[in-house]
Amino acid sequence: MASEQLPSEFDVVILGTGLVESVVAAACSRVGQRVLHLDRRSYYAGKWASFTFNGLLSWIEEQSKITASEEHDWSSQLEDGEDLIGLTTGDVSQVTNLQVFNYTSEEEEQVPSLEEEAKEDEEEDEGGADQTPAGETQEEGAPSSESEVKEEINTPAQKSQPEKSKKRLTYAELLKEGRRFNIDLVSKLLYSRGALIDLLIKSNVSRYAEFKNVIRILTCRHGNIEQVPCSRSDVFSSKLLSVVEKRMLMRFLTSCLDRDTPLLYQDFAERPYLEFLQYQKLSENLQHFLIHSIAMTTPDTPTAAALAATQHFLKCLGRYGNTPFLFPLYGLGEIPQCFCRMCAVFGGIYCLRHSVHALVVDKCSSRCKAVIDSTGQRISCSHLVLEEGCFTQTAPPTRCVSRAVLITDGSVLPTEAEQQVSIVTIPSESPVRMVELCPSSMTCIPGTHLVHLTCQSVGSAFEDLSPVVNRMFRTPDSDHPEPRPEVLWCLYFNMPEGLESEGGELPPNVSVCLGPDGSLGHDGAIAQAELIFQKILPGEEFCPPGPAPEDILYQGEEPDASPAQPGEEPEASSSQPGEEPEASSSQPGEEPDTGTSNQGEEPEASSSHQGEAEASPTCKGEESETSPSQQGEEPDASSSPCTEDSDTCPNQLEDGTQG
Amino acid sequence: NMAIRELKVCLLGDTGVGKSSIVCRFVQDHFDHNISPTIGASFLTKTVPFGQELHKYLIWDTAGQERFHSLAPMYYRGSAAAVVVYDITKLDSFQTLKKWVKELKEHGPEDIVVAIAGNKNDLGDIREVPMKEAKEFAESIAAIFIETSARNAVNVEELFQKISKQIPPLQNPDVESNESFKLTQQPPPSTRRCC
Repeated sequence: MASEQLPSEFDVVILGTGLVESVVAAACSRVGQRVLHLDRRSYYAGKWASFTFNGLLSWIEEQSKITASEEHDWSSQLEDGEDLIGLTTGDVSQVTNLQVFNYTSEEEEQVPSLEEEAKEDEEEDEGGADQTPAGETQEEGAPSSESEVKEEINTPAQKSQPEKSKKRLTYAELLKEGRRFNIDLVSKLLYSRGALIDLLIKSNVSRYAEFKNVIRILTCRHGNIEQVPCSRSDVFSSKLLSVVEKRMLMRFLTSCLDRDTPLLYQDFAERPYLEFLQYQKLSENLQHFLIHSIAMTTPDTPTAAALAATQHFLKCLGRYGNTPFLFPLYGLGEIPQCFCRMCAVFGGIYCLRHSVHALVVDKCSSRCKAVIDSTGQRISCSHLVLEEGCFTQTAPPTRCVSRAVLITDGSVLPTEAEQQVSIVTIPSESPVRMVELCPSSMTCIPGTHLVHLTCQSVGSAFEDLSPVVNRMFRTPDSDHPEPRPEVLWCLYFNMPEGLESEGGELPPNVSVCLGPDGSLGHDGAIAQAELIFQKILPGEEFCPPGPAPEDILYQGEEPDASPAQPGEEPEASSSQPGEEPEASSSQPGEEPDTGTSNQGEEPEASSSHQGEAEASPTCKGEESETSPSQQGEEPDASSSPCTEDSDTCPNQLEDGTQG
Repeated sequence: NMAIRELKVCLLGDTGVGKSSIVCRFVQDHFDHNISPTIGASFLTKTVPFGQELHKYLIWDTAGQERFHSLAPMYYRGSAAAVVVYDITKLDSFQTLKKWVKELKEHGPEDIVVAIAGNKNDLGDIREVPMKEAKEFAESIAAIFIETSARNAVNVEELFQKISKQIPPLQNPDVESNESFKLTQQPPPSTRRCC
């Protein structure tokens, strides 16, 4: 089954399986283009990838090896009037300043996890380890072996956490359980009303993924970690706010959603947000929450921009949960894979570990006619989509993101409900956002949390983020009185942000996709994918909904089942024991599927034709509501619930002020 | 009113062994020689009764991504069972079966129910894979074993009945309070507490 050859003719050839490339692939395939989707790597999603722990170690190792570009002469593949443009064949990873620290214990030995004194003693020795040069992996490095020694002289700490003698995870355990981790290279969240969520729903790609709500927005202030009140109920229950502050916050947030807001801040539009908030006489408490956690910006951001961010935040509240954010189960790396599946389901051909070595360009039209793949095969195409970094680039990246990935032994703000996904905003010169993932997000093992830190790079990732890590967590370098979760393993690296490429020389039918940007959401990537799609197929619909599983019919087949009546329970009725269950679900007229609704009372919206509503399983444990107006409407109508909801939002907030 | 359990089942096996035909037979009781390779099918569903429950199978086909060994990890996520298919008339397809099983152990959920299906058993006269050998292999990995014929509707229902039997009983659904969910067009009404 191995040495099959790729077909030699496609409409669209796409190299790279990052989010943008994958969305373009799905969109093209969905409207009937023959798509070949390649990735030179052995895994999906490129810079957007998610790895098991062991997979991440291999990735780290790869980064330190610079694979040289192979030289090939493909000129024999050329016909008259054609030119070749070579692509880089080595993997230009562009990740820099990679540093790994391992603080797991080396042996299967139980140690009280608190060892303040031992930690302090270690500090001096640790200095050397911190300077691990980029690219050097230090998995079994000094820190763990030293802590092993110090454990002997460990005196029980007085400020012990409730869980007293917790076993510290060993490195061997980490490796053994490694496959249960899903560690993203990029840390982002999905805004509940952002472009990515809308696209997932519109295209029905949402069927392939499950999500968790981000339950808490936390912030770090005066060394304390506090929960930011953002929903009405949060504001009410918040112990951090006085009654007066609660009212003021409610009034302010309500006014932000008002259409007349621009009049309110007119004079401040270009002035710092902080000045505007001071002018509004909001307390320091509130200023902090509003600037850092709600607008997620800095005090000197222009007021107009900060208020736009605030508005976006508020509009996203309450769609799925009490914060604006969602996180996909198994990590962000799932999302590109979901779009790839959509592409494959509509006939797209997938081949990993396969690359494009050169473009064949027609001298007259200067269009790309074909590509030469890594086996030397010539594959013709009408359009070519490339991930960034395919051309030998000379200019170094101008903007980078600093990243840290930690495996810790607990939450920075433990609660009774231990299984929470949180975002923590940490004010700093370059504001740091931290996403803390719990085991039920399927990204880490029980007893651990997976923590992602991200900021715009000022220096190396270690320089930018290790002070924050030491402040928020217990490490051999940290020194704070508060009990904090312990860092078991951590990784720092810098990744360049997607840059406008200097693609002036490119053939007109070649597009380059940028890598992930440093923002929290995905709007940039989705806008880019849509732009590339429109360039390839002007006027075609971008990702129309895929048919519901129930509507798939194999060629010309009419099921002999009787049509199910709406309001009935066709599934239940179709399955008499001992009888051949009817394939009622394949009937294309209507398919009220009560199966997925836990309450079993509300039939789901049925998707009777391709232009209609989502018919995927509904939100588990919650009611699915099918508004009558939804039936027979085009999916664009999804904007109406949006506006509806955002209209209810201010009311909801107003209600609060009266309470 | 019987409880409905959604069970994701993923199919594995070489191109051309009849994975889609098995699903097509199971879901629509239909067989087509020139079945188009699964265009547009994200997954197919069929609900069957089992004891006091209804098992709603969401059956995922490879969508051709197996052809160049490029199945994505997301394909296996949350699968209750996997059906690994080979063609009894093609020894190659049985030999690569072990590779699929290995891949499943690497990427699939730990508690996944594995079923091995030797398809095309209507073509016994050109059989290349002895049933005994296949059965022994299945036993060695504690997998369900069955020979099927999607064409003649032999043992396809039985395959899924055997899977149903191996599915562990439903646990208390209230255990997990903050579950994950799928996105829908119409968002669920947000749970607001009244004060």
